[in-house]
Amino acid sequence: MKYLGWDELIPGAILFSFKEELDKDASYILPEDRPYAETNSHEAYVGDWRVLKPVYNRDICIDCQFCWIYCPDVSIISRDKKMIGVDYDHCKGCGICVEVCPTNPKSLLMFEERIPNEEALAKWPEKE
Amino acid sequence: MSEIKKIKNLKEFSTSADRFEGANLLCPGCAHSIIVREILNATNDPMIMSAATGCLEVCTAVYPYTSWDNSWIHIGFENSSTAIAGAEAMYKARKRKGKLPDSCEGKSPKFVAFGGDGATYDIGFQWISGCFERGHDMMYVCLDNEVYANTGGQRSSSTPIGASTVTSPAGRVSYGEKMMKKDMLGIMAAHGAPYVAQVAPNKWKDMIKKIQKGFQTEGPVFINAMSACTTEWKFAPDDTIAISDLATDSLVFPLYEIENGTKLTITYRPKNKVPVRDYLGAQGRFKHLFKPQYEYLIDEWQKMVDERWEYLQRREEASV
Repeated sequence: MKYLGWDELIPGAILFSFKEELDKDASYILPEDRPYAETNSHEAYVGDWRVLKPVYNRDICIDCQFCWIYCPDVSIISRDKKMIGVDYDHCKGCGICVEVCPTNPKSLLMFEERIPNEEALAKWPEKE
Repeated sequence: MSEIKKIKNLKEFSTSADRFEGANLLCPGCAHSIIVREILNATNDPMIMSAATGCLEVCTAVYPYTSWDNSWIHIGFENSSTAIAGAEAMYKARKRKGKLPDSCEGKSPKFVAFGGDGATYDIGFQWISGCFERGHDMMYVCLDNEVYANTGGQRSSSTPIGASTVTSPAGRVSYGEKMMKKDMLGIMAAHGAPYVAQVAPNKWKDMIKKIQKGFQTEGPVFINAMSACTTEWKFAPDDTIAISDLATDSLVFPLYEIENGTKLTITYRPKNKVPVRDYLGAQGRFKHLFKPQYEYLIDEWQKMVDERWEYLQRREEASV
């Protein structure tokens, strides 16, 4: 994106979240349907902060949504009361989702960034 | 008055569309954003927000990005409360004169000011006090991480006794912070505020209930939210919720609310009370307390927490 210079910014340095005016409040529009402006941090990437990444195993998940509520980075995607996956563009790899996961074995585990998700899922630990 | 968002359980809650965006620059594992998300998701009404200078402000509005999907302003360290109070007064005045734009028809916006503990306990204190005295219909949320984390970890008047910070370092001659934590909730309640409450992000249900109650309350509402700071409390980022659990279960951070300045209600009583030693031991900022010469402080801490809990229970019973 083109960064505006100090003399090009709107006085007061206003940044817009959306490209156009919304006809209803954002709380009624799911993120995938929102017209995000390029000045919204939703368009930014912090995935390179991660050392370890959380990998999600759908087969064990009980959709308790603990990971959704406690994720500080809005990176757990839940739709229709179901946990769908992890948003790797915004996940900083803090590992809270893994800590709060109540299943046995956990349905979210931290793996090294370089390991592909399929490989990680293949070596998932057994129930203790 | 608008409808209250119905949140029966976590599954239902998880259908909320977040209005706080990721890729903000808060540390991994920061509790600030957990608290902000819980507050923003507690209602579907439009929100008008401000944030005082502090971690939340500098990390969510780094040029060229904003992380807020509703109106949000940053102006100064001290006046997030007065900015919101001004917006609220303007909204009321225009409503009275029938000068609101058509897009505001049938909506009941919520006015929320955020501030860190530095902006609340120290720097913005006088401004908040003014807002509460004038009785604006707003909510002030203090994200209490007990330190000036944004500038590198200086002590604030919220820093508890014995904590090591860069301006109250622990060492051979000192055990760290010498002063007690200020009872901000008591002070705000003494303003005669209709509703003040203490919340913690790990007890999300309790938190949502209090936030919704705050939104329904006419007049100024003060919320003190415990925000475990992975950087300055010195624990691993994935332990944020575990540390918060320790804080609420050891009663270092009791969860209660005060209505109309007097009626105190305890909203969370831990089933298994955890010794304060466990809470202190989990954090690097208290690690010097486990050296032989400072160990007496742990017992004093426990005594202090017990006395406080006893006092809260007595007040609840007497409801004065």
